Amino acid sequence: MELTPKAKKTMVTAALIGPAAIWLFVFMVLPFFAILVFSVGERAPAGGYQPAFTFDQFANLGARAAAFVNTLTLAPIGAIACLLIAYPLAYYLAVKVDPRRRLLLVSLVVVPFWTSMLVRTYSWMYLLGARGIPHVLELIGIENVRLINTPGAVLLGIVYGYLPLMILPIFVSLEKLDRRLLEASADLGAKPISTFFNITLPLSLPGVMTGVALVTILLLGEYLIPQLLGGGKVFFIGNALVDLFLQSRNWPLGSAIAVTLVIVVVAVLLISMRIAWRFAGTRQIDLV
Amino acid sequence: MRAFATAVYLFLYAPIALVVLFSFNSGRSASEFVGFSTQWYGRALSNTFLMEALQTSLIVAFVSATLAAVFGTMAAIGLERVGGRTRAVFDGLFAAAIVVPGVVIGISTLVALVQVFSVLNPALAALWPGQAPPQLGLGYGSIIAAHGMFTMSLVAMIVKARIASLGRDIVEASNDLYATPLTTFRRIVLPQIRPSILAGFLLAFTFSFDDFIIAFFVAGSNNTLPMYIFASIRRGVTPEINAVATMVLAASIVMIVIARFLMRDKKTAD
Amino acid sequence: MTKPYRDNLPISADGFMDQFMRLKRGSVSRRHFLGVTGLGLATAVFGRFPGAGQRAYAAGDLGTQMSIATWPNYHDPATFENFKAATGVAVEVNVFGSNEEMLAKMQAGATGWSLFVPTNYTISTYSQLGLIDELDLSQVPNFDPATQSARFTSEGKVDGKTYALPKNWGTTGFCVNTAKLKTPMQSWKDFFEVAQTEADGRAMVHDYQLTTIGSALVSLGFSFNSIKPEELAKAEELLIKVKPHLFAINSDYQPSMRSTDAWLTMCWTNDGAQLNRDMPELAYILGKDGGEIWTDFYAIPKSAPNKPAGYALLNYLMDPQNAVKEHIANGAPTTDSRVIALLPAEITSNKIVYPDEASLTPLEFGAAVTLTDPGRAELMARFKSA
Repeated sequence: MELTPKAKKTMVTAALIGPAAIWLFVFMVLPFFAILVFSVGERAPAGGYQPAFTFDQFANLGARAAAFVNTLTLAPIGAIACLLIAYPLAYYLAVKVDPRRRLLLVSLVVVPFWTSMLVRTYSWMYLLGARGIPHVLELIGIENVRLINTPGAVLLGIVYGYLPLMILPIFVSLEKLDRRLLEASADLGAKPISTFFNITLPLSLPGVMTGVALVTILLLGEYLIPQLLGGGKVFFIGNALVDLFLQSRNWPLGSAIAVTLVIVVVAVLLISMRIAWRFAGTRQIDLV
Repeated sequence: MRAFATAVYLFLYAPIALVVLFSFNSGRSASEFVGFSTQWYGRALSNTFLMEALQTSLIVAFVSATLAAVFGTMAAIGLERVGGRTRAVFDGLFAAAIVVPGVVIGISTLVALVQVFSVLNPALAALWPGQAPPQLGLGYGSIIAAHGMFTMSLVAMIVKARIASLGRDIVEASNDLYATPLTTFRRIVLPQIRPSILAGFLLAFTFSFDDFIIAFFVAGSNNTLPMYIFASIRRGVTPEINAVATMVLAASIVMIVIARFLMRDKKTAD
Repeated sequence: MTKPYRDNLPISADGFMDQFMRLKRGSVSRRHFLGVTGLGLATAVFGRFPGAGQRAYAAGDLGTQMSIATWPNYHDPATFENFKAATGVAVEVNVFGSNEEMLAKMQAGATGWSLFVPTNYTISTYSQLGLIDELDLSQVPNFDPATQSARFTSEGKVDGKTYALPKNWGTTGFCVNTAKLKTPMQSWKDFFEVAQTEADGRAMVHDYQLTTIGSALVSLGFSFNSIKPEELAKAEELLIKVKPHLFAINSDYQPSMRSTDAWLTMCWTNDGAQLNRDMPELAYILGKDGGEIWTDFYAIPKSAPNKPAGYALLNYLMDPQNAVKEHIANGAPTTDSRVIALLPAEITSNKIVYPDEASLTPLEFGAAVTLTDPGRAELMARFKSA
């Protein structure tokens, strides 16, 4: 039997998209559906899950209010702290630095990603611990400073871990900037500072938006940094989730929190796309 | 400005420098430098658990990144051929896969797999003709699948962006010259999207190799390297871990340099 | 159904029916999962990976690897190397921070462990949930019930059947850096007071409901095992008040105590002995007002992928010659008189390892109900997320 060209084309298309579709269905849609089912269930008497149909778990979300508050404050604060450090560096790399050295310097921003995140965080555990910076401070007479296991340590770990993710999109948007605009502005007698605020900054906003949205969204699900640098005292939603599945074994409540977290993440994404559209004139948040 | 940049680089590299430094510690601890020695490299290489974890991580990262690159690219190309609505659905799915936190991916995949296994295993045992029915369980497969789901979406988005920026005219010209679609793909499209596929593969590999939280939930009895390191942090780290981290860092720098070299070569050739 | 076939089933016939009925009741999820045709592919992928579901079938065939779930710093690393040399089986070690975490992993399904180390109060729950098998003692000839001290080992039996064999017993006290803290401490009441004053920012409590809530209860004059809501409410009040003063909530306190980041921590015998051995200024103290006494056991999960190797390792560890090395390395006291006979005097006379009978009297064994009580689980979670 001879296939019509159209049928053949459809089959090829299906063969191209099929594997991805199946994969996404089995390992994303289905698991999400599973936690949705779990989230309306009950905690079994010995812990775990037993089937039920109740919205008690969602009514009980308030029991983890502190984790939500922690996450929803520290994530944007962390993203902004990243931005404050990343922007000047990205500007330096895109505008000021000798173009021949640019590639090397930008690569150097990426290299830390190639060492284990855990090992780097462990290194901070040492630096912030009694034998690290506090020890140095002791030598100059400042005694008993405690840095590790504080919100400040978690914030530092966040900035350290996510800084490259903030630098890159801003760098890209600044690099794309048309230099002639800057020259024209200078020719028209604008001071460098007003050129920056009237031209450079507005034109780099898409990069800034991408960076802030990306870092905030990733931080909403953070587990390791608060665990390792917060000593179990600074609690994110991610930590609450791990705890609910592995310690208190209240899987339905854990599922309800996971579902809520996904909703929060999607909401943050949509809101930032909205803001990006309004202020930067682009609807696009480049996630990759 | 320059001083600020230097300070940021110092901030980025001080902890890494410390990791490398302590890998050469002759003492037992990863936090008190006693003297210079390379003994921990030898110990790390002969520590079967550490090496097994490294091997697991390499296999998982390589297989999941390869599958992600292949299927992600196929999907990106295939989606060029479908209507706007299908494309929008997949764009949404890819974006969702990327923004859903790892901890949620880990937990939900575990929950779903366990349910699936508890149905399939008895069914399999009942239907199996031989004496020893296979048992489905968590292991390499589950980590690869969960990592690949996420990284495939990453690859698809990167390659799609590249395809969108390609000129249509060159493809049409090729078709006008009676090239078959396959030839057009091989000779025209593929060379242009190859760098994005490679970039996607590298990103996928890096993500998978470094992921802790997804593997923490969906791994069976095999530890990945990050899982091994996490367990070591609980026990108290020895410079063995630093030695492995240093070797991984060195290997990745070599890989970056090679990748840069290959890409630059391409650029000048074009 | 032929006999060998049934032996190869992952769960017993009863367990299977039970599972099946549960799925029927919770059929919402099952329908959807079953309806997915793509799973056939996943089946093929998962089934083929070694270690994903491999089992040794003939008794005596030990395979080449197994994995054990245990506690951090709990074994002599040489033990597993020697076992590998003797049997060819490599042992993968997974460490945990609490019994709850072990139970959660088991409840979540295939863990891949062929041997694990649960604490006394959890064993009845594991057997009720059908997660562990009755042990076949004929495969553990090195175990001798006659040389065991019944005070510590009775909870290995449920309804007269042996589900677990003892590894060692121990106590939960606290460890103090006496170079940093000068206030003399003798009780859990002292512990929580000093944690808020002299040791402000330097004290650690476990990330473990049993000991953290239990010790808080003891300091208030209640039972370590209380699940009475009004007593738990008082304990919660205390813990929340102490939390801002704590260095960390973490069961892995050895690194922090050694680096002197922390000066005071809840502590188990074996860690206390190890810390004190390396740093004599780290003292180990038992609460005069109470606290925990415990026994850790070896048990074999029902889902164990390599039971022959699990039994082989269990039998190996029950050999007094091997057990004594474990004892010397980890510092927790033995339940086996054959092992005591082999110990050097400096260990048997070590008051951290073998305390006076008088100091053991106020201590309580953990009660099974604390493992599954939702009130305690939720209290711990509130304390951590507060």
